[in-house]
Amino acid sequence: MPKLLKRLLLSLPTLLLVSMVVFSLLAVLPGDPVAAILGMEATPEAAAALRLKLGLDDPLLVQYGRWLWAVLHGDLGRSFIDNTPVADALWQRLPVTIELAIGSFLVAVIIAVPAGILSAARPRGWANAIGTLIALFGMSVPHFWLGMLFIILFAVKLGWLPASGFVPLSVDWHANLIAMIMPMVVTGLRESAILMRMVRSSLLEVLNEDYIRTAFSKGLRDWQVVLGHALRNAMIPVLTASGLMVSGMLGGLVITESIFGIPGMGKMIVDAIFQRDYVTVQAGVLAATVMVVIVNLGVDLLYSVIDPRISR
Amino acid sequence: MNQRVSRFLLSTMSSAVLAACSLPALAVTLNISLDADPGKLDPTQSSMLNERIVYQSIFDKLVDLDGEGKIVPMLAERWTVSEDQKTYTLFLRKGVKFQDGTPFDAKAVEFNLLRGQEKTSLRRNELKYVSKITVVDDHTIKLDLSTPFAPFLSILTDRAGMMSSPAAVKKYGDDYVNHPVGTGPFSYEGRLKGATITLKKNPDYWRAGLPKVDEVVYKIMPDVNVAFNNLRSGQVDITNRFPYKEITNVPANASYTVLNKPSLGFRGFYMNTGKPPFDKKEVREAVDILIDRNAIAKVVYNNAVAAGHSPFSKAQFANGPSDVPPKVDVARAKALLKAAGKEGGFSFKLTLPTTPDELQVGQMIQGMLRPAGISVTLEKTELATQIEAGKAGNFEGLFVGWSGRPDPDQNIYDFVTTNGSLNYSHFGAKEVDDLLQQARVEGDQAKRKGFYDQAMAILVKEVPYIYTVHDNVLFGIAKSVKGFQYVPDGVIRTATVSK
Amino acid sequence: MNSSTNTTNTTSSQALPELPRWRTLRRFAGNRLALIGALIIGLLIVLALAAPLLAHYDPIFDQDYGNLLAGPSAEHWLGTDDLGRDIYTRMLFGSRISLQAALISVGLAFSLGVPIGIVSGYYRGAVDAIVMRVVDALQAFPSLILALALAAALGGGFYNAMVAVGIGFTSSFVRLARGQAMTIRNLDYVMAARSIGAGHLRIMWRYILPNSLAPLVIQATFAMGTAIIAEAGLSYLGLGAKPEDPSWGSMLHIAQGYLNTTPMLAMWPGLAIFLVVLGFNLLGDGIREVFDPKLSR
Repeated sequence: MPKLLKRLLLSLPTLLLVSMVVFSLLAVLPGDPVAAILGMEATPEAAAALRLKLGLDDPLLVQYGRWLWAVLHGDLGRSFIDNTPVADALWQRLPVTIELAIGSFLVAVIIAVPAGILSAARPRGWANAIGTLIALFGMSVPHFWLGMLFIILFAVKLGWLPASGFVPLSVDWHANLIAMIMPMVVTGLRESAILMRMVRSSLLEVLNEDYIRTAFSKGLRDWQVVLGHALRNAMIPVLTASGLMVSGMLGGLVITESIFGIPGMGKMIVDAIFQRDYVTVQAGVLAATVMVVIVNLGVDLLYSVIDPRISR
Repeated sequence: MNQRVSRFLLSTMSSAVLAACSLPALAVTLNISLDADPGKLDPTQSSMLNERIVYQSIFDKLVDLDGEGKIVPMLAERWTVSEDQKTYTLFLRKGVKFQDGTPFDAKAVEFNLLRGQEKTSLRRNELKYVSKITVVDDHTIKLDLSTPFAPFLSILTDRAGMMSSPAAVKKYGDDYVNHPVGTGPFSYEGRLKGATITLKKNPDYWRAGLPKVDEVVYKIMPDVNVAFNNLRSGQVDITNRFPYKEITNVPANASYTVLNKPSLGFRGFYMNTGKPPFDKKEVREAVDILIDRNAIAKVVYNNAVAAGHSPFSKAQFANGPSDVPPKVDVARAKALLKAAGKEGGFSFKLTLPTTPDELQVGQMIQGMLRPAGISVTLEKTELATQIEAGKAGNFEGLFVGWSGRPDPDQNIYDFVTTNGSLNYSHFGAKEVDDLLQQARVEGDQAKRKGFYDQAMAILVKEVPYIYTVHDNVLFGIAKSVKGFQYVPDGVIRTATVSK
Repeated sequence: MNSSTNTTNTTSSQALPELPRWRTLRRFAGNRLALIGALIIGLLIVLALAAPLLAHYDPIFDQDYGNLLAGPSAEHWLGTDDLGRDIYTRMLFGSRISLQAALISVGLAFSLGVPIGIVSGYYRGAVDAIVMRVVDALQAFPSLILALALAAALGGGFYNAMVAVGIGFTSSFVRLARGQAMTIRNLDYVMAARSIGAGHLRIMWRYILPNSLAPLVIQATFAMGTAIIAEAGLSYLGLGAKPEDPSWGSMLHIAQGYLNTTPMLAMWPGLAIFLVVLGFNLLGDGIREVFDPKLSR
């Protein structure tokens, strides 16, 4: 697929640009990583030795080049703070964030698609009014506040769910899901609000197209028309939005991860920024960006499946 | 024939099944929550208290502390100190092995001490007075110091005295932090960065009958309420922090208890004496007497701390009358400010960490200084920036506390002596330097206390650092946990613990 | 930071033929919601401006250590917080911070993004290609992390944090403005203007900008809501407003430590953020109704 390859190649400059931007930002951050690593008991010699070892006194371009070279050879480096390989940390945390993103997205889809369809098909009904209001509310609620409210209700007052206590999927999928329900639902609710509006407006437009009117005039029943013909075409812009949403979640769930104690990528990157652990930040942002690129590519692929006319 | 074969097969299979079913009972795991992810698992590279908690399970030290803060034998069975206090002879325990099977002996001690003195080691300062190490025989080692140094043995109760396996260090080099090997009750299994550290029982541990549990898992929970919830639900057995508000809320039938006892540390903030407004000691004293430590202890910490005014908590022998906070006196503060030429008050920036309780303290300080016309701006920073600011003298007020060490010298010397490595205030007074130097080389504890009292008498007038409170060791411990022993250094010792 | 998605096509929005009375009813309903939105935002502005007059105490220094975490009372309408400060007063002053957050970040994003987008969409070619690459890169960035790193790099503090958030928003304004420019430049009246010799700058200023404003203003309104949530999020993480300032986000952060004991602390700031964001969203929907009813439903 030459088109796909072309897209892949086009995204490389983006990746490069992102990594350069991150690198320069980190360089400008006040504070000294050596001070963060060695703490109060640092001796001047240990500090100097560490600076030398980490190459922190070299010019920025050299440091960046060194990092890039290593990455191209598959070496993501070792964390400044505890010397563990960053690849290990990514390996452990990326699946968690992906799980959260996918789970939230599923929750969003399960709520948004039927609600959106119902709203579009019956624009005068009470379903539409309620749906609109709920969507509006969902868009406006700060998700971390919602998370706190959930914790108060389900963990503190009712005791149904633990406030936190993450268990990796591979260790115990049951405990893992219990820990992930609240963050998934909280994030999913917010996303569903946005998604629902998208589905509805997109479906409404399609339903006004001539070929749909033709279908109605031919005597096809409502639901046949809606689900059979309209939905397929309405899904395209929704797909774009979904793609953006999921890729946005890959680095942006920091606060949710904080509140619920989920060891995901977002929290890892933010903590690393605070600790001046440049290596981890670089690798984390790179991973998140790669995920975004992959999701976008996936969306494009799905386009061509859904609508062969589209020859992106 | 067929029947016999099939019966044989059947009995073999059933005994296999039975064998599988009779595997050893479920491993007993001790779950401990830590509020921050330990950095490097190598005592020579360690800079945080949390790391010591994990090290305690993996590494033994030459000597240890007991519940009263006294030094007791560990890997060194006994020791002698020469008259001039410059030679320490340690007699090491026999028959102890590292977790990788290699023997623990005097050569290993020599290796570790030399390693601790290397340029890249953070223990270099602590060990700088050790001028000569002599391996007398397999289990005897002689350490010559360049000067008498009273805190020496107490330093060996901490990371400088932790023994790593020389074989492992040589084998792994830089990667040793991912394969730490000691003689302790538990050996390192693995870690999930930011989430857990898993240790397994050391079956060859030299203390008979110990450890009592099969596995220790440290869970990283930066949020103290999360840790508390986990304690309540039984997912964690010991928490290294406890929410202050909950201390007075523990129901009688709770599944846990709260350990709330003095530690060795202190909190407070440095004032930069190198530049205005804190270059004048009257100004510093004015700020000092405006701060109501008792209110801070009550409002922020729910009295899980002791109001303080010196670096020495009640768990330290040097604790003296200087530790009693002054009465809040707004009138006197105003008079002092006037004497210093700052009658209308002044403003300064207080740099503090991002932890919620320190932020609360900062805001309380804002309220407390206002009546004298002092306005405080709070600046939140992360540790990296804080330490850098401290060393560079790039601040006006800087909130940095100290987790504390068993020997009082380690709580004061580097902080207030001229050009001390932790003297971020850039304060210097010859009398104080002399007194602290004398306290450092004096062997008799009572005499040392005398020196510290005298030094503190001067410091309460000079006030380079405002001491606010002494933290307590505050652990939440599940009632099912037995054998837990409190030690004022705030380190959880896992060898004797059972569930 | 999800910007709401705007479709810019112009087909009718009604699924099935509607009776006239339904149409008017819907229009009214739509406008009523917009009215509520406008009222909320108006209230926000009034409260923010009048905060010192309406407040009962000082939001930072009036700390009452004997009266911590109290419930509502005659002296403290919404109770007191962890240091005994009056919550009602702090909520009032918090509105100032939220309003400033919205205005600064969106203002920046708008003034930066719209010109760049218009220029890019109008000239096309190499300029456009470069701009789009950069915008792509910026959007591929995890947004909160971008804001965080930028805020920290700029030196922390409230204004820097809001500038960082604004820069994060810029790419969506660039995209939108660019799309508008690309469409409008091909319209008849623009062609006509060019044929009589109007210069590029004049065309962009007189024709393209005014006619792209509608969707841009709608975007800006929605972005204001997002900005307030972003500010709250950054305060929560430790960047943003000074610790003693009563930003609603900081208040939520404090409340998180008291979820077990005093859950009500989390109620007020969260509710306030919710209502204000709702107000902006309703307003955005309403403006969309006014400018182009076909776009909304």
